[in-house]
Amino acid sequence: MSGQPVQPVRLPRLEPPLPGPPASSDAVLAVDHVARWFGNVVAVNDISFGLGPGVTGLLGPNGAGKSTLLHLLAGLLQPSAGNVWVAGQRAWGNPQVYRRIGLVPEREGVHDYLTGHEFVLLNARLQALPDVEAAVGRALATVDLVTDSRRQIGTYSKGMRQRIKLAGALVHDPPILLLDEPFNGMDPRQRLHMMDLLRAMAAAGRTILFSSHILEEVERLADSVLVIYAGRLAAWGDFRSIRRLMTDRPHTFTLRSSDDRRLAAALLAEPSVFGAELTDGLLSVRTSDFGAFTRAVPRIAKTETISLFEVRPSDDSLESVFSYLVRR
Amino acid sequence: MSVSPGAPADRSTTAQVRASGPGGSIYDLGYQGYEGPRLGREAAIRALFWHTVRSCYGIGRGGRAKIVPFVLAGLAVLPAVVGVGIAAIAAQSGQVGDVLGSNSPIRYATYHGLVSTLVMLFCAAQAPELLGRDQRFGVLPVYFSRALARIDYAVAKVLGLAASLLAMVIAPYAVLFVGRVLVAPDPVEGLAEELPSLFPLIAQALLTSGLLAAIAMAIAAFTPRRAYATVGIIAAFLIPSIVVALVVGMLSGSIADWIVLMSPVDVLDGTNATLFRASADSQAVSASNFNGLVFVATALVGIAVAVAVTIRRYLRIAA
Amino acid sequence: MPIVGVTLRGLLGRRRTLLMLLLVALPVLIGLLIRLSDSRIGVDRVLDTMLVQTVLPLVALVLGTAALGSELEDGTAVYLMIKPVPRWRIVGAKMLVSAGLTVVLVVPSTVLAGLLAGGVGPASLGTTFGYAVAVAAGGSAYACAFVGLSAFTSRALVLGLGYTMIWEGVLAGLLEGTRFLSVRQATLGIARGLSGQPVREGTLELGLAVAIVAIAVGAAFALGSIRLTRFEIRSAD
Repeated sequence: MSGQPVQPVRLPRLEPPLPGPPASSDAVLAVDHVARWFGNVVAVNDISFGLGPGVTGLLGPNGAGKSTLLHLLAGLLQPSAGNVWVAGQRAWGNPQVYRRIGLVPEREGVHDYLTGHEFVLLNARLQALPDVEAAVGRALATVDLVTDSRRQIGTYSKGMRQRIKLAGALVHDPPILLLDEPFNGMDPRQRLHMMDLLRAMAAAGRTILFSSHILEEVERLADSVLVIYAGRLAAWGDFRSIRRLMTDRPHTFTLRSSDDRRLAAALLAEPSVFGAELTDGLLSVRTSDFGAFTRAVPRIAKTETISLFEVRPSDDSLESVFSYLVRR
Repeated sequence: MSVSPGAPADRSTTAQVRASGPGGSIYDLGYQGYEGPRLGREAAIRALFWHTVRSCYGIGRGGRAKIVPFVLAGLAVLPAVVGVGIAAIAAQSGQVGDVLGSNSPIRYATYHGLVSTLVMLFCAAQAPELLGRDQRFGVLPVYFSRALARIDYAVAKVLGLAASLLAMVIAPYAVLFVGRVLVAPDPVEGLAEELPSLFPLIAQALLTSGLLAAIAMAIAAFTPRRAYATVGIIAAFLIPSIVVALVVGMLSGSIADWIVLMSPVDVLDGTNATLFRASADSQAVSASNFNGLVFVATALVGIAVAVAVTIRRYLRIAA
Repeated sequence: MPIVGVTLRGLLGRRRTLLMLLLVALPVLIGLLIRLSDSRIGVDRVLDTMLVQTVLPLVALVLGTAALGSELEDGTAVYLMIKPVPRWRIVGAKMLVSAGLTVVLVVPSTVLAGLLAGGVGPASLGTTFGYAVAVAAGGSAYACAFVGLSAFTSRALVLGLGYTMIWEGVLAGLLEGTRFLSVRQATLGIARGLSGQPVREGTLELGLAVAIVAIAVGAAFALGSIRLTRFEIRSAD
């Protein structure tokens, strides 16, 4: 992918707003043609966007560059090109920006020998908060870890570790929250709890950006979505709009039946079908209206007395969805 | 992933249905087991051995991993190269100089002293990497579920480090040997003169590389953390030799002699002195009343014990 | 200072503490042995070889490289870095802890070993005292240097070992000029300078030795802080 020309991919009618000069734009988080490469590998490839209050999901498959982008926003990586602005300040090389940011990293483990309380206390002290104990108490209550806070983090389950990291990131009440795959390892109840929490914080005016490779999580929580694939921004916007657009894209189905050829001919007569192909003993059909198609197939099979052995969508994966997005 | 517009749907699976029901289908993706010849246990041991040697020198692992081993090995061979170089130039200008002569610090007999620190550092740097990494990342079950037995793993790894050390120790001897032959006024005569040294230098190289590798690996086998293993190895070499140097004057009689045998550095110094019929660097060794062969025997026993400890550790380690 | 606290907790894990205590117990045992066998080994020689050349650099190495290095290696350093704390404060705190622990461990060992090996005669006491101060200074220099080094490379331990064993051990003996770049020589210079003994040939002069220690600490602090301002999280997605 790194050999491809560097063009941000844009959907029609949904151009990502390019950030203006930080002072005049009301984007809290802004990246401007930012890129980051490691030797020959381009992890983030000419991305620009601006975010304001609310919950935004950063969606993409593993290896797409989500963590790299979050690290760039958190000032933990220097951009190879372009700029990263957080609350009007540069992110890289600027420790003062951490008053406004809370980061929950994905991979980095917490000191095992500290208790939960001690870890959050450490975070609070390093943030130079006026009333440290109160802040710690609030943060622990928010993530529901008060009773376990006196145990060492080494004894915590994975979900508890995630939550204590979140407590540490929340203790100084930051207006901006960056979360890298925050729902990893959480059971459904904890996930719902954290989603409610994040929604409430966003409603109170915070800017929250979280990354995930799971469509359903993003769908449920995020107001808007950044879709990233192979280091490039593939789509941006309100999730429903993107989803709608994606169902307008042609779907491909694979069928096996008692008489593929007759079935193909009959299907081609349908207005929703615009392509059919017989290869390797399988029938592959392209359709632009999958609702109509799924109603047509059994009807036609019955009319033509063809037995259907197999009907499956062959481009259902997240990856093929993105491949549609990046093909343009 | 390049998908061109208009390409047909993904056909990478020529799927046959192996079983199908109302609830789902199982596809035969054409997967075949491997029915071909399998190389056995010896091949596995050999492969692990060579892998270990390559790891020691950072081959196949990018530039950074090569720095420490090559710098150390380079420093080890440097005095020999310099000595031979100077001797060659001196011979050119007519003076058959005494650079490599019997008063020079760069001779077979004295080279061990020059190089032993570097060899110890090599062990301390590489042994923890060789054993600690596998323990740390939990890949031992992957090794042990193959034709490789636990004892094979231990032995192959130790042999790998020993072979790497051998290369490092023998290189300067080889340079000296060849250099001296070529610098001599009559090469054939020079060769005849050098040949008697061949056995001692090979023997000393084998003992040095074997003993230091075995001890280093025995220590590294017990901890996945690099820092503890490194410091443990250095402490195991350095501290006994310092203690011996201090203590040897104090305790008289055979106790003092036996203490010398507890320090690998001094034992190897003793074998060096014995094999080359030279004087020992360490005072303690010179003062001891041992027949030189005792040092050689101690070295061999040391190797055996250390290897046994390593093997036992890997027979019992959880994996 | 919260960083001091968390670094201290991190360094005093059970295994590491045990290893350190074993290391500093050795010179004391040797001292005891010398006292019991009533022999005539000079205090200077014992403290030089046993402590300054062996135990001191090893202890300082372990503590110095672990103070910052272990957190950088296992990733927990991130939580310190994403705070509005100036980087020099982070480096400074870690240097303070590792140097402090080194001194707390090694000085008593020096004093005990010196007293046992040398007795309480004025000459021996002078030597012991000189070494105690020198070891505090040299240990601090070593520890700070290794903290600084670990900001630059994950192989600080091996490089530090190479420095003490090859550079200080072998080369400084061969090449006269390199004595100024050897913490060991500076330590010995302070020790002998303060012990009231006549100055030996080849030893660094007291004032010079102190200056070298101060420069080492200062340079390590400055370079380490600058390097940490350009901290980047380890490899990507």
